[in-house]
Amino acid sequence: MNSHVKEIAWTGSEFVLPLQSQGDSSQTTGVETAYDSIWAAEVPVADPSPLERIMLAEDKLYVVLAVVLVIWFGIVAMLVRTDRKIKDLERRLSDEGLEGQSKTR
Amino acid sequence: MKTRTEALLKSLIVLWMTAVVLAGFLLDIPRISILEHTARNLYFHVPLWFALMAAFLVSAWYSAKFLSTEDLDYDVRASHAAMVGMAFGILGLVTGMVWARFTWYVGTNKWWNNDPKQVMAAVQLMIYGAYFVLRSSFDHNAKRARVSAVYNLFAAATVPFLLYVLPRQFQSLHPGAEGNPAFDEVTDPVMRLVFYPAIMGFIALFWWIYSQRVRLTLLERRLENE
Repeated sequence: MNSHVKEIAWTGSEFVLPLQSQGDSSQTTGVETAYDSIWAAEVPVADPSPLERIMLAEDKLYVVLAVVLVIWFGIVAMLVRTDRKIKDLERRLSDEGLEGQSKTR
Repeated sequence: MKTRTEALLKSLIVLWMTAVVLAGFLLDIPRISILEHTARNLYFHVPLWFALMAAFLVSAWYSAKFLSTEDLDYDVRASHAAMVGMAFGILGLVTGMVWARFTWYVGTNKWWNNDPKQVMAAVQLMIYGAYFVLRSSFDHNAKRARVSAVYNLFAAATVPFLLYVLPRQFQSLHPGAEGNPAFDEVTDPVMRLVFYPAIMGFIALFWWIYSQRVRLTLLERRLENE
């Protein structure tokens, strides 16, 4: 594992660390790369919350996992909706004279 | 479509998407500061929006077809395409929020950052949300179909502006404003190997869900008419 990047990953940049003392990292703003955008530079960076500590581990790989899980849950929600529509249709079919064949009703 | 071709196509989609997810996580990519592994979200967040655009295109196509033929089946197709497209858009927004929150907005607790593209995408979803509000305000099928088809064509006309033209006029976390049409200069070419198949996979996934909904509603309509 790349432990160098990992231990300072949450500060946003590996270039930030040498410029300041280890203990005081709360004032960090970074403007190093194209992806360090004006947006991120505007806001002061606070200590990582427990949730952030999880998400930023393994070089932020869990952010990708979270995104994939969001999509997965979205697909599940659509499945459930389709299921409900099928059930409606089944109910209407059995209401229209098929009661004799349906055991559940 | 023949049932066997369809079954074959669907198993292909499952295999295809499995391969996309596996390659998305396993293919080695260069580690860029700040972005790090989250660059892999290119394979998941971005194709959602491509699927949304495909969905809205399908929807507009069937709205136009309805207007020229007055066949209500086309209206069913148009509304379900828009509905599934919206679902993909909501997923696109949420995945984008998660990505930004833990990549560029660490330590700020900012889930919504008013990035131009984010705002325009939200507006886009509201425009399509209004399409469904409009639909629900009619009791008469044919009338609903006609008015909402016209609205849908206007809504589709806003898509290129809200998702392409306008967001690129401002500085944004999204690439594009610098003149590069799609990728940032830091995007490694190897990522295209997963990115393009991911787009195809997500569009196929859209088609699968959309066609299920259409078949169900058409069955329902047939039941009503008997």
